[in-house]
Amino acid sequence: MPYHTFKCSECIPERTKHAVIKGPGEDLTSCLPLGYLNTIPGSISERGCAYCGAKHVIGTPMKDVIHLSHGPIGCTYDTWQTKRYISDNDNFQIKYTFATDMREKHIVFGAEKLLKQNIIEAFKAFPKIKRMTIYQTCASALIGDDIDAVAQAVMEAMPDVDIFVCNSPGFAGPSQSGGHHKINIAWINQKVGTFEPKITSDHVINYVGEYNIQGDQEVMADYFQRMGIQLLSTFTGNGSYDDLRGMHMAHLNVLECARSAEYICNELRKRYGIPRLDIDGFGFKPLSESLLKVGLFFGLEKEAQAIIDEETARWKPELDWYARRLKGVKVCLWPGGSKLWHWAHALHEEMGVEIVSVYTKFGHQGDMEKGIARCEEGALAIDDPNELEGIEAMKTLKPDIIFTGVRPGEVAKKLRVQYLNAHAYHNGPYKGFEGWVRFARDIYNAVYSPIHQLSGVDISKDEIPTDTGFLTQALLSNVNIGQDETSPSEERPYTGDYDCVSKLRGKTYPKLERQPIGMG
Amino acid sequence: MPCEIKQKERVGVINPIFTCQPCGAQYASIGIKDCIAIVHGGQGCVMFVRLLFAQHFKDNFDIASSSVHEDAAVFGAVHRVEEAVDVLLMRYPHVKVIPVITTCSTEVIGDDIDGVVRKLNKGLLKEKYAGREVHLIPIHTPSFKGSMVSGYDVAVKDFVSAFAKKDQPNGKINLITGWANPGDVTALKHLLMEMSVDATVLFEIESFDSPLMPDGNAVSHGSTTVEDLAGTANALGTIALNRYEGGLAAKYLESKFNVPAIIGPAPIGIRNTDTFLWNLKTMTGKPIPESLVRERGIAIDALTDLTHMFFADKRVAIYGNADLAIGLAEFCLDLEMKPVLLLLGDDNPAYQNDPRIKGLKGKVDFDMQIIWNADLWELESRINNKEIELDLILGHSKGRFTSIDNKIPMLRVGFPVYDRAGYYRHPVVGYAGAIWLAEEMANVLFTDMEYKKNKEWLLNVW
Repeated sequence: MPYHTFKCSECIPERTKHAVIKGPGEDLTSCLPLGYLNTIPGSISERGCAYCGAKHVIGTPMKDVIHLSHGPIGCTYDTWQTKRYISDNDNFQIKYTFATDMREKHIVFGAEKLLKQNIIEAFKAFPKIKRMTIYQTCASALIGDDIDAVAQAVMEAMPDVDIFVCNSPGFAGPSQSGGHHKINIAWINQKVGTFEPKITSDHVINYVGEYNIQGDQEVMADYFQRMGIQLLSTFTGNGSYDDLRGMHMAHLNVLECARSAEYICNELRKRYGIPRLDIDGFGFKPLSESLLKVGLFFGLEKEAQAIIDEETARWKPELDWYARRLKGVKVCLWPGGSKLWHWAHALHEEMGVEIVSVYTKFGHQGDMEKGIARCEEGALAIDDPNELEGIEAMKTLKPDIIFTGVRPGEVAKKLRVQYLNAHAYHNGPYKGFEGWVRFARDIYNAVYSPIHQLSGVDISKDEIPTDTGFLTQALLSNVNIGQDETSPSEERPYTGDYDCVSKLRGKTYPKLERQPIGMG
Repeated sequence: MPCEIKQKERVGVINPIFTCQPCGAQYASIGIKDCIAIVHGGQGCVMFVRLLFAQHFKDNFDIASSSVHEDAAVFGAVHRVEEAVDVLLMRYPHVKVIPVITTCSTEVIGDDIDGVVRKLNKGLLKEKYAGREVHLIPIHTPSFKGSMVSGYDVAVKDFVSAFAKKDQPNGKINLITGWANPGDVTALKHLLMEMSVDATVLFEIESFDSPLMPDGNAVSHGSTTVEDLAGTANALGTIALNRYEGGLAAKYLESKFNVPAIIGPAPIGIRNTDTFLWNLKTMTGKPIPESLVRERGIAIDALTDLTHMFFADKRVAIYGNADLAIGLAEFCLDLEMKPVLLLLGDDNPAYQNDPRIKGLKGKVDFDMQIIWNADLWELESRINNKEIELDLILGHSKGRFTSIDNKIPMLRVGFPVYDRAGYYRHPVVGYAGAIWLAEEMANVLFTDMEYKKNKEWLLNVW
């Protein structure tokens, strides 16, 4: 029986099929946990709501947009400044957030007039910004405000502005995932095809399901542009509203996070015939294969291979330095939705760590399918984990480190388990060749932290060595490296800069030439 | 008019100063021992508030959700509360107190949480949990009314009224701190100890600052007990330091149990701390001891080194919880600074009639604006339009980019502070708080002088 019952959840039988252990010789048919079902009230689940899934995860990374939430203040405030989706326009989307500030009188009499005033005020406050997204919340959904009609009326009165409406109240679905779906579909229904972008290349892509966490998108955009590809739009990290209205003009959708954004790719294929290519920006091998796949699609294999060779030569010795020291480190890979399958195999293969558990807060069964397929035997897979189950798992599995969010990271800290931020990263970006080395470095620094070593010492019981003035990560990690196994001389720790993203912004690329029609 | 008070003219909010009521109720709930609240609403209303607390304290706090999904939003969701209470009690055997906190969604759909609490008391708790001490407390905090400040006020009052019980006088005072940090509670308890005053502190949150122990078993949670709350009815008197965060509970104890109440001022700065000690003395008859004269002297000594040399005429903008912001403004005035802009971030019209606001209005002799129902755009747009020039900003981390982008030095004060390390550990109240505030303001100004090379050589001989 692959299902795993947590002691703390024996009293809630609904949980019995939400965790499995990948046993020897078992295939996915016998070990797939249930997924994306309603949350059990009072279980202290880690899930968020469909509003945050739409606004916070997908909507707000769009960089040249006024993000206005129609509701009481909390939804806006609470989702503001809690992520690291940066942009190359000085982070407008991180700095400014807008709320209609719905009050009791509006609940009673309706808030459409309030909404309209808000829209006008916001455009007036930021006269250079001509694009807006309005997010419905629980309150505005329940009182039944017609946000679309208000937005339409404003657009008619102010022809230079464009407004997108996302109706995804907090209660719409078991988790944030419901909001991902809603905003995907709303965007293609309302906005795709309403803007004709300038096409400058014969190789044009949309980069989809990429949120520019700490600059991920900019790293990947650099590769695409070096290959001679026009990056038409990114959905949505560092993405521009009007570029995304022109998504229908791309030749290929390159999809990163399939959990949050496969919906729009599937619709773009259906409606505009644009193929979908799933890629992976994490890990040398998956990333190399991804660049080659994109290259193959456009006949740019040579260009892709050149990048892979250059980047691998530059960064592989640094990855290997860390991998040698991370072998056997036990990891709980506990992200939100898709990183369990993006990371599980690549971490194991390229850094030598053991994935002892994967979980997903808002993933579906498909995410589990991919995640479990890519992790090792014996791994514990948990759907919609709750606080006590997480604690029980950490106490039994005794991981060296977990990759999860800020708050569960604090739970782990108290159990003396090191933590890295899986959503916003510690010192990212983690995508790209250099990024993957940065990830390895963060793991190394966490696992071999001298302070972490001290945290296990009980000065009332343990013997205190009086001759150790300090330790270093190297001193702690070298214990695991055999005497005869010395690093090849080219291996070295990370040599990149603290900020490896900003310098990409001024970069120039070879001018893309379009083939004359008929010469193709 | 040197000092004017007005409301923000825009209807909307650009960069809010506060979040909504349920956050305040949740903040009060984590101060109580063996208490895990259930927030009745969508999951985000809990997940993000817990994240906010984790951002501020760099620690985890347990709060549950009733996880209202679409069907419940349509057909009513009280059954989700029933299930949540049961699941919580089954899995957390130590839990005694479960506040049920409403949100905008469940108030709009009209879920009767008082009714469901009565039903659970008669049914589930009698049958399945007979013999176990469990208190369910309905707390109404619709997000479309007030703010996190009023949510905190309402919740403190609801906790007190749920437990306060007349018994023999206990000789203590009730000290309701308002929205405080662990460092504030430590500073306040120190003053009480020096005065030999025995007090019930609402809430005992020093334990929010919890250790990382070798056995890996520590958690962050408040330690005010049900017994502490019950005893509030038998106190000599109540001092609620913050008018808008705890004032309701103080008034309740006064009207219901004849426990005399003194409401405010928050002991921020020397003068307000003096007032607090005077109030303690009046209420308990205990003298102010020599040790505090000396401690006050240390603070005065520290401030004397800074005021006319560095602080005089510095223009300051302050935003945040009203009690905090007003207290900071008063302290700035004593320090010879000019608080030219005060932003109070919700629509409580009572701010206009607050005696301290009236005091500012009547006595300030330079141009000062007090904006209520304010947002952070009220600050930023004034800077952009060059309506005000500032030397310093005092406020919480949500306004960090206003400081960064406009190169105006800022001292993080209030809640939340997530972009500076360990600020929850330091007090802003009492003489210790006066020292911390003044010296940190000075250090922030000094660092700015050095970055901008603005008379940085001045500090050579200070």
